[in-house]
Amino acid sequence: METVIETKALTKRFGERAAVDGVDLTVGAGVAFGFLGPNGAGKTTMIRTLLGLTRATAGEVSLLGLPQPAKRREALARVGAIVEEPRFHPHLTGRENLQVVAAARDSAADGRIDASIERVGLAHRSGDRVKTYSLGMRQRLGIARCLLADPALLILDEPMNGLDPAGILEMRHLIRAFVDEGRTVFLSSHLLDEVEKTCDEVAIVDRGRVILQGRVDEIAASGDPTVLLAIDDTEAARRVLSAETRVTNIEQEGRELRITLSDGLTAAEVNRALVTAGVAVSRLEPARATLEEKFLAVTSRLETSE
Amino acid sequence: MRLVNAEILKLRRRRGLMIWSWLLTVGSVLVALIVLLVLHAVNPGHHGPAGGSTNLEHYVFLLSGLGDIAAILIGATAGTQDVSNGVFRDLVVTGRSRATLFRVRAVGALCVFLPILAVGFAVAIGSSFLFAGGLPNATGSEIGHYIAYTLAITVVNTILAVSIAAFASSRVVVGVLIAWSAIVAQILLAINALGGVRKFIDVAAAEHFATQHMSNTNNRIPMSSATAVLVLAVWAAIALSAGRWWTNRVDA
Repeated sequence: METVIETKALTKRFGERAAVDGVDLTVGAGVAFGFLGPNGAGKTTMIRTLLGLTRATAGEVSLLGLPQPAKRREALARVGAIVEEPRFHPHLTGRENLQVVAAARDSAADGRIDASIERVGLAHRSGDRVKTYSLGMRQRLGIARCLLADPALLILDEPMNGLDPAGILEMRHLIRAFVDEGRTVFLSSHLLDEVEKTCDEVAIVDRGRVILQGRVDEIAASGDPTVLLAIDDTEAARRVLSAETRVTNIEQEGRELRITLSDGLTAAEVNRALVTAGVAVSRLEPARATLEEKFLAVTSRLETSE
Repeated sequence: MRLVNAEILKLRRRRGLMIWSWLLTVGSVLVALIVLLVLHAVNPGHHGPAGGSTNLEHYVFLLSGLGDIAAILIGATAGTQDVSNGVFRDLVVTGRSRATLFRVRAVGALCVFLPILAVGFAVAIGSSFLFAGGLPNATGSEIGHYIAYTLAITVVNTILAVSIAAFASSRVVVGVLIAWSAIVAQILLAINALGGVRKFIDVAAAEHFATQHMSNTNNRIPMSSATAVLVLAVWAAIALSAGRWWTNRVDA
């Protein structure tokens, strides 16, 4: 698969503190890639470094197969980006703001202004000054600004921030539509649920380091299997399960037990052991790990909460 | 050219800036003209006609003084608005060099200011001929001096404003440049002990193009026209280089 973003040992330091710390990242073409991490994890600094808004302290970056910053202009000609919140000249209209940025791109960008505005559903407000726009409208105008490049790669920094549920849904559909068109979307977020719903691949970042990277479904499914049990006599069930050494964790959630299995122990064996011990099992199902659980397991958030 | 047009658009759509710029240049001349016309109409024996060479000099004094403030306001706005509105990073991620993005600010500011100044001059010169009455009109040479002097002081200050705005907020830029032109430079020019070094002050170089009547003769530093042009060019070049260097260096 063609590589759209590649970093090798990318580092950005502010004094002694490493905001991006030796990051090796590979993002293939035609996917929605989530860059997930808690606030202050280094997501925005990573994006700023990728785009050349700030200089890397060390390491290598390549965008669309072109080394940065040597081939900066060629690469960025096909990149659209929103860094932090989308900002505009408030005294200009939405259309005029796009004209300003289109002027910095090749002349074909001028011809994409109407289509970009139409695409994000702002045609009826494009003649209004941006200072009258809501945050959701500014987010959409930011996407329209990205589209002026006819981008092969969109880099969106927290695109769901400040959006209402309808706006989030709309943004998710827009991102998936871009991916369906063959574009690559690299989005940073601290919203786990949104990354899980929107992205194909994810890198979990914390304290400037990528600590986990892969397909969202594979990451969520990785690790020891977890099983949910609905049982009337949870105390009796606990006694039975505690005797089984391959049950590594037992958590009670109301009338349910969530247990983690190891060393090849299967749900059927658990069921047999409980029934043999006279514990009635009314429901048994594999619990699908969420990205949130993985996220909390691998980031400093867990340490903080403990 | 598209980038320059974008700069012009950003400036011209600032209603407050445009109103003040027009008021300070064209408006000030019009106000002076109307006052002189009214005074002449009320008491022609005591107040002469509103036109003629001497009154043109008064209009040019307003144009160069208040027009200079307009030039500084426009330059400072052009120099700061992308960064202060948070849009500079969006321009940088288009792949355009920061040097280009910086350079077009100065060109855009001049493209907005110079037409306003031209209208101010058209009003001033036109009025001086139209309402001269029996007074002598300005000669071509005098008019040339007026235009050269005003252009020298305002163009250099526009460029200085754009350049210093790379380092500071627009308010600081406006304050520093007005203080420099109106106070600090004038004090330095008055210090005779500085001798020929004073010719390297931009205000001294600009005043070289003023008529003898206009400039403060005590502060007038003798120099050739070539030296004056060179001094102004060096000031503009150093300012632009510093602004470009900082724009390249700083995080967007």
